[in-house]
Amino acid sequence: MSKWYDDFQVLKDIDLSVAFGERIVICGPSGSGKSTLIRCLNHLEEHQKGSITVNDISLSPGMKNPEKVRREVGMVFQSFNLFPHLTILENCMLPQQRALKRTKAEAREIGMRFLERVKIPEQSDKYPRQLSGGQQQRVAIARALCMEPKIMLFDEPTSALDPEMVSEVLDTMIELAESGMTMLCVTHEMGFARKVADRVIFMDAGKIVESSDPEAFFSNPQHPRTKEFLGQIL
Amino acid sequence: MFDFRFYEIWRSEEFISALLSGAFNSFWLSAVGGMLGFCFGLMLAISQDKTVFWGVRYTARSYIEIVRNTPFIVQLFFVAFGLPLLFDYQWSFFASALLAITLNFSAYFAEIVRSGIDTIDKGQLEAAKSLCFSKRQTLFDIILPQALVKVYPSLTSQFVFLFLTTGLVSEISVEDLTWAGRFISDRNFRDFEVFIVLTVIYILLAWLFKLILQGIKRLAFPWSVNK
Repeated sequence: MSKWYDDFQVLKDIDLSVAFGERIVICGPSGSGKSTLIRCLNHLEEHQKGSITVNDISLSPGMKNPEKVRREVGMVFQSFNLFPHLTILENCMLPQQRALKRTKAEAREIGMRFLERVKIPEQSDKYPRQLSGGQQQRVAIARALCMEPKIMLFDEPTSALDPEMVSEVLDTMIELAESGMTMLCVTHEMGFARKVADRVIFMDAGKIVESSDPEAFFSNPQHPRTKEFLGQIL
Repeated sequence: MFDFRFYEIWRSEEFISALLSGAFNSFWLSAVGGMLGFCFGLMLAISQDKTVFWGVRYTARSYIEIVRNTPFIVQLFFVAFGLPLLFDYQWSFFASALLAITLNFSAYFAEIVRSGIDTIDKGQLEAAKSLCFSKRQTLFDIILPQALVKVYPSLTSQFVFLFLTTGLVSEISVEDLTWAGRFISDRNFRDFEVFIVLTVIYILLAWLFKLILQGIKRLAFPWSVNK
């Protein structure tokens, strides 16, 4: 699969398959196309060449009903993107009511269940701005989970957080990984990668440079670019 | 020193009732015109979106530009004297004034609401997309509530400003507050006193509008007030 922004090719012949239940961590220098890659998977970005298939749904440029694939895929953003005009619980409820046509009572029950799972049910009546960054990101995770996706995408979920709040979000993600969710995480949290990833993918300049299990990735990187990157961040 | 003689106004019941009914007419012309103008302006603002059919988009854009770049008095005369010729039907001047106010307000409101829509963070749209909101749901559930709160202060002050320009409807003999002032000063020749009284009443009405608009904000967007 390849993607261009005008003349600039951001993704070059990406060939990646992810098994059900697999946890993948994607890392690499900024501008390497890692965010763009996962944003292509729920059609927030369009690819121009090649094919993407998510749960037997194939994505094509200019497709009419990207909702079909988005229903399968939950996404967590770097900047949380909670809806500031809705309470925490409403943030979790409204998408269910709109997209899945659940009743208010159902949506509330499911919303509370997932807020409990990310350990902030007591904040449910507050507004996003009243919460810390870490709490907001956990709400964002709960909001995505309420849609009961088969796959979760994380786009640098801890990059906008104070260092102290990183771990509470990572703990939530680890818990999710342990429950068997298929996950693709763009992150620089190497501790997280080592702990939960089945595979670590390193990208540079729009290409997948290296893809291996975390043990091999950290102890014995093959590509010089990977070595350089790991040398800088570890 | 000028000799103020306000009793030249108070002594006549006719004058007082002219002022009261003038204030009342000014108030509700602006209130109703404001509400209708807001609804129409909202539609104009929404139709500026890139995804809207270009014919609609450019018509709306042209409309906004024409209204915002012509004097209200010209628009008023067009509605009051031009439209009846085009449609061969004579409305009351009151209805013409209301229509002119609605059309005028809508273009200003559209521009403000549009600017609010433009400030909504792209991340909000992406979140809505990833959560399978339809375009319409994204607009009404996510974008508009946030955009309206952001521009609410501008909308309020624009409305008050436009309210103050509605005195021009007295030119087509709609009996608003300015008309009442003219009516009285033509009879008692105390122009200065009359227009001081008008000033005070206009200020009071502007305050009243601001209060009402604050109240509406509390009711419509409780999340923006609640700390």
